[in-house]
Amino acid sequence: MSPDVSSSTIADANTRANAPRRVTVIRAPSLSLSGLTGGLVKLAQYGDLLYTLSVHRIKVRYKQSLLGVSWAILQPLSLMLIYTVIFSFIARVETDGVPYAVFSYVALLPWTYFSTSLSNATNGLVSHQELVTKVYFPREILPLSYVIAALFDFAIASTVLAGLMVYYRIGLTLNALYAVPIILILTMFVTAVALFLSATQVRFRDIGVAMPLLLQLWMFASPVVYPLSAVPTRLRGFYLLNPMVGVIENFRRAILQGSPPDFKTLGVSALIAVVLLPAAYIYFKRVEATVADII
Amino acid sequence: MIDLKLEHVSKRYRIRRESEAGAARNPLVRKLQSLRQRSEEFWAVRDVSFEVGRGEALGIIGHNGAGKSTILKLLSSITAPTSGEITINGRLSALIEVGSGFHPELTGRENIYLNGSILGMRRRRITEKLDSIVEFAGVRQFLDTPVKRFSSGMYVRLGFSIAAHLDPDILLLDEVLAVGDAAFQAKCLQRIGDLKRSGTTIVFISHDLSAVERLCDRVLLLRQGEVVASGAPHDVITQYQNTAFQSSQTPRAEMENQEKLVEIGRLSFRDAGGRETNVLRAGEPFTVSLGFTAHERVADAVFEVFFYSADRELQCQCTTEVSGRQLALEPGAGTVEFSGPGLGLLTGVYYTDVVIKERGTPKFFDWSQWNSAALRVDPGRLVRGKFYMPCEWRLTQESEADATAAAETTWT
Repeated sequence: MSPDVSSSTIADANTRANAPRRVTVIRAPSLSLSGLTGGLVKLAQYGDLLYTLSVHRIKVRYKQSLLGVSWAILQPLSLMLIYTVIFSFIARVETDGVPYAVFSYVALLPWTYFSTSLSNATNGLVSHQELVTKVYFPREILPLSYVIAALFDFAIASTVLAGLMVYYRIGLTLNALYAVPIILILTMFVTAVALFLSATQVRFRDIGVAMPLLLQLWMFASPVVYPLSAVPTRLRGFYLLNPMVGVIENFRRAILQGSPPDFKTLGVSALIAVVLLPAAYIYFKRVEATVADII
Repeated sequence: MIDLKLEHVSKRYRIRRESEAGAARNPLVRKLQSLRQRSEEFWAVRDVSFEVGRGEALGIIGHNGAGKSTILKLLSSITAPTSGEITINGRLSALIEVGSGFHPELTGRENIYLNGSILGMRRRRITEKLDSIVEFAGVRQFLDTPVKRFSSGMYVRLGFSIAAHLDPDILLLDEVLAVGDAAFQAKCLQRIGDLKRSGTTIVFISHDLSAVERLCDRVLLLRQGEVVASGAPHDVITQYQNTAFQSSQTPRAEMENQEKLVEIGRLSFRDAGGRETNVLRAGEPFTVSLGFTAHERVADAVFEVFFYSADRELQCQCTTEVSGRQLALEPGAGTVEFSGPGLGLLTGVYYTDVVIKERGTPKFFDWSQWNSAALRVDPGRLVRGKFYMPCEWRLTQESEADATAAAETTWT
């Protein structure tokens, strides 16, 4: 080793000595709003880790797999084919005149984003035991990186939607831009649920086991394979409490019908997401303080 | 200037014991029972207060379970204290286990970015340091190879190299020096010395007492989660060794639930003057004394004491195996003594394993080990090299008065 390698790095240690330093105070954990702001400041400092880890998720998933990135497309595509066979040939579902393939695919996009995020992020803490017990970094980065990776898949899979719309000659209108705030609401909601589940999974591993079933039920409780209009009116009020209803229905509306979203249903989803996200984050930070002891 | 301050810091763990007796068959009922059951409390760290000044190197020593690692975890925010307050002035990095967080499928380069970010480095900073990191680890040709194809040595070197380039204000070290080959270890120690000279505050937690003594300005001794001594490295280490000597012999896991025909008693050392001690001098006469209790008659037993260096590498052994003499034991207590004119071990700390077995069979009567250093060797007769070799010398010179000479050196 050449001596100048170490001397170059030591030199900036000296210049650093005079720079102002950040003072950190560590106390016993408590549920508090200051945990929220303090946590966000720390998270911002570790922004590069969130980026690196998200890219890493995407890379690792497709490394040494034959079909590579096309897996992101294959999953919603194959589900779409199955549902199209079942719900337009075997049992007929009324789709307000839209071809069933594109009707279901446009809903499967946000749904797959949601379910992939959750099924991966739930294990986010537990599957990184060796890191969590040895190095400190804001732990929410682990579940968040899975959400970001799933968002990447969502973008890839959207290209197929464009193809389907060209094939079925469905044009986009400016209202399609509403997809952006809708996906933002979905991202907030999925982040909240991911934080809650991954933190709870540390103590109760049952959650990971129950996830596939839960997601299956959740999908049928959302207007993915059928339209919202098929839900009996007297059940609607209850049905709308599922934030995925407002998200999926309005996403489909903005893209396929080219009309602005129904602000009532979307508003319910947005409200739930906005309330849930900070609550889930505070809960997560409280669990994080001692997660290394019980994981 | 104080960089690190702990005020009345405590950490409690709850241990829930699962009692076999009275446990219900149904797992659900059992779960409910365990929820009702009062969990046991265990204070890993209790009311610990200390300060570390800027540029100071503090060593923390103690037995396994004394709370060393818990303190490190508290300082590095891996877990939060139950009570008390920790104030950290500056950027703190912990070098706890080298290479945690490498992903086998990713290349060396990708892992440098991943691991560096996990340790809190910005991507831009990693890019600046990339050459230096690769150079230090000596893995340039393999930079774009997945690390799963790395040798374990390369893995460890790369891990340390990334961590060594963190440039923190405060550096926490935990047993990291016990990695790599001797040359790399020396490089690591040099790097840590450089950081220290450049003003980095260091907290060093280790079993390697000689490294602690070399590196640290001050040492804390922990026992059962409490600070029992603090002061100059040599004084505290000596105090620790005097207690370590008596208390830390534990049976190997393999020996649990096994009936012992012969049981290991006390292991002790005596120096040239016949005084019992745990500090011997290289090259001076020594005695290793091993007590035992035989519960039955044994036809032919073998007694062995193994000496391991701080990095857990076997250095040498004392054994009765090669003597060729039959060693029959009658029921009762006894002692086996090994002694020699010059201790071959060089300066350092040594861990010991003790084995009593039956000759010619793989059967162990008893096997125990020291979890902390049992023996320290101080410089005695000054020698260079890897071990002390006792030898005698005689001078022969051809002079005009006496022409007969025989060049002879007696080696023993």
